[in-house]
Amino acid sequence: MIDLEFNHVSKQYRVRADEPTADNAANPWRRKLQRLRRRSEEFWAVRDVSFQVRRGEALGIIGHNGAGKSTVLKLLSSITAPTSGEIKINGRLSALIEVGSGFHPELTGRENVFLSGSILGMRRREIATKLDSIVEFAGVRQFIDTPVKRYSSGMYVRLGFAIAAHLDPDILLLDEVLAVGDAAFQTKCFERIKELRQSGTTIVFISHDLNAVERLCNRVLLMHRGQIAAGGNPVEVINHYGEITRQKDVEQAEKQPTAEVEDADVVITGCEMYGEDGTPRRDFEFGEAPRIKIDLYARRRIPFPLINFGIKRTDGVIACNFNNWYDNFKIDYLEGHCTLEGWLPPLRVVPHSYEIHALVWQRRGEYELGDLTGMQPLAAEVFGSFTMHGPSITDDGGVFQEPAREWVLTVNGQRIEHRDISADSLHKAYNMESSLVIY
Amino acid sequence: MASNVIRPNRVDESSPAKRLPADGAPRRTVVIRPPSFSPFAIFGNLANLWQYFDLLLTLTAHRIKVRYKQSALGLAWAVVQPLALMLIYTVIFSYIARMPSDGAPYAVFAYTALLPWTTFATALGNATNGIVSHAGLVTKVYFPREILPLSYILSALADFAIAAVVLAGLLFYYRIPLTLNILYAAPIILTMMIFVLAVALFLSVLQVRFRDIGVGLPLLIQIWMFATPVIYPLSTVMGSAKIPAALKFLYSLNPMVGIVENFRRVVLHGTPPDFASLTLAVGVSLVLLPISYMYFKQTEATMADVI
Repeated sequence: MIDLEFNHVSKQYRVRADEPTADNAANPWRRKLQRLRRRSEEFWAVRDVSFQVRRGEALGIIGHNGAGKSTVLKLLSSITAPTSGEIKINGRLSALIEVGSGFHPELTGRENVFLSGSILGMRRREIATKLDSIVEFAGVRQFIDTPVKRYSSGMYVRLGFAIAAHLDPDILLLDEVLAVGDAAFQTKCFERIKELRQSGTTIVFISHDLNAVERLCNRVLLMHRGQIAAGGNPVEVINHYGEITRQKDVEQAEKQPTAEVEDADVVITGCEMYGEDGTPRRDFEFGEAPRIKIDLYARRRIPFPLINFGIKRTDGVIACNFNNWYDNFKIDYLEGHCTLEGWLPPLRVVPHSYEIHALVWQRRGEYELGDLTGMQPLAAEVFGSFTMHGPSITDDGGVFQEPAREWVLTVNGQRIEHRDISADSLHKAYNMESSLVIY
Repeated sequence: MASNVIRPNRVDESSPAKRLPADGAPRRTVVIRPPSFSPFAIFGNLANLWQYFDLLLTLTAHRIKVRYKQSALGLAWAVVQPLALMLIYTVIFSYIARMPSDGAPYAVFAYTALLPWTTFATALGNATNGIVSHAGLVTKVYFPREILPLSYILSALADFAIAAVVLAGLLFYYRIPLTLNILYAAPIILTMMIFVLAVALFLSVLQVRFRDIGVGLPLLIQIWMFATPVIYPLSTVMGSAKIPAALKFLYSLNPMVGIVENFRRVVLHGTPPDFASLTLAVGVSLVLLPISYMYFKQTEATMADVI
């Protein structure tokens, strides 16, 4: 059963070209007249996009700013019409685009529930029956008859989301709305969306939060310049996206002159990762042991440096750090061109994209680290990111995963032992199959 | 956070559970295509508007509530405007200058016309700005956009009802007898609502593209008032020998002439309406409304892109 269908949909925007030419600069009136004549440039926000969403699916749409994600959402929710193509929607669709849409500050919480609810497409009677549950969800029972202008911003947002969370659509469109409230409330929202999903609601989720997309969706489309660049298994599409982002970073880095580091004491000139075979790599299999190399240039003599290689998951979790101090490797000083090489242990961080951070700190004395808090590192650079491939455990499963050494189960005195756990047991357990399609 | 709990994988993708409740009802399939003009689309649009009738009622109630929240005079403001205008015009045209008033006391003569006129002016002004003032909503949520101007027009009707109580008081004070002809006031006001809706739908979408409309509207309304027999009787225009016939004809095309003058006839003078001018007002309104509505819906498809 297909709930949503995009059939060669394109959306063109006109961008007014309003550059003052020599001819019209002198005469603002002529310029105004010319503007009325619509000398405009065409811009395709979405171009020949086709996809289908089956009933009960949760489709994620990711991509850079301006890739056309939001336009897809606007087209789906009828906010704007396509320039060509056809969109089929099968069922009641609700778009949850911005929390608190249509709130009026002078009205009480209760009145706003009715107002915002009907704007989002609920019937009055439906809202009346759900009112209690909405108020409960938002946790604003005490203030429900207070004008919302007296609400804290947290309460405001919670009430807004609570209304939207009580929509009961066949198809739900979500756009970055999960980034509201405190952690506890976010979890509540997430659970609510999962609940909707489990009850068979079709979901389209458009977000920059790759982590949330991965947790929520069973299929992901990557949009790039108004077209679908890739689609399929969330982990693989998200990793593919990471690669594109990295290429972009590299291109930008190459363009940028390194002017500002001129007078720094230490410059980290490079940081690279290698596979076990010695080739530079940015893709690793789960459990691979990479080699790293950090190139530095010290303008003056830096005594007792701390050189750190850290990886940070793209959702902000600092996964792990390797440095000479942890491993009790004393470095007396750095001067001129230096290179630090390291052979890392098998990395078992969960498959995801990770940023590569290289830092240099200065230690106060030979045998003590000194107080790093509040102290700025001498140099800190991000060198793009790498992707950990492997079984699709997500961050829900933790930060790292390693097989246990052995298991023993005792049932009524009878022992069942399991000792031969291979390093790739996880791969076998998940029986990964690739479903990434590159368009 | 719940992610502390060890869950081996994301949402299970193998079991998109069947939705059990309410699935017996067939789902509505909507097909969105590029905007294309069709005179029959209007029926689909009206059906869609009906789906959102609840929203229209809620928004209208909300307008009325919001307007008078945190204002000391509250609903009395609906009365203050026509009453103040009445006092000003009475002082000017009854004491300073002499304006004929078809035999009625000037105060009640003016108020009877100011009542529908201020309703018209308020409705038109608010409804024209209705879409632009909700740009945030228009770019984020879909609902039939005509609901915005419509809700302002309906809430102006509430003002009308309140201000009408003062009219009743004035009529009583001046001992003006009512006749059954006052029942004509209902279709007259209905005509005015249709007319103001037609104009507001057109101007509100024009305002989305050209904000000049919003700036120029107060001036337009001002001029329009003088082109309508509000502060003077219609007889002074039609009976004037100085005004050429062509200009009189042009004047009579203004539907507000038939509406305001006839409202005054049936309420103040207790005579039956002038059916010629009333028919013209009804005719113009009924022709304009579908045209204006079709134009509105045509523009609606890309409204969010230009707002």
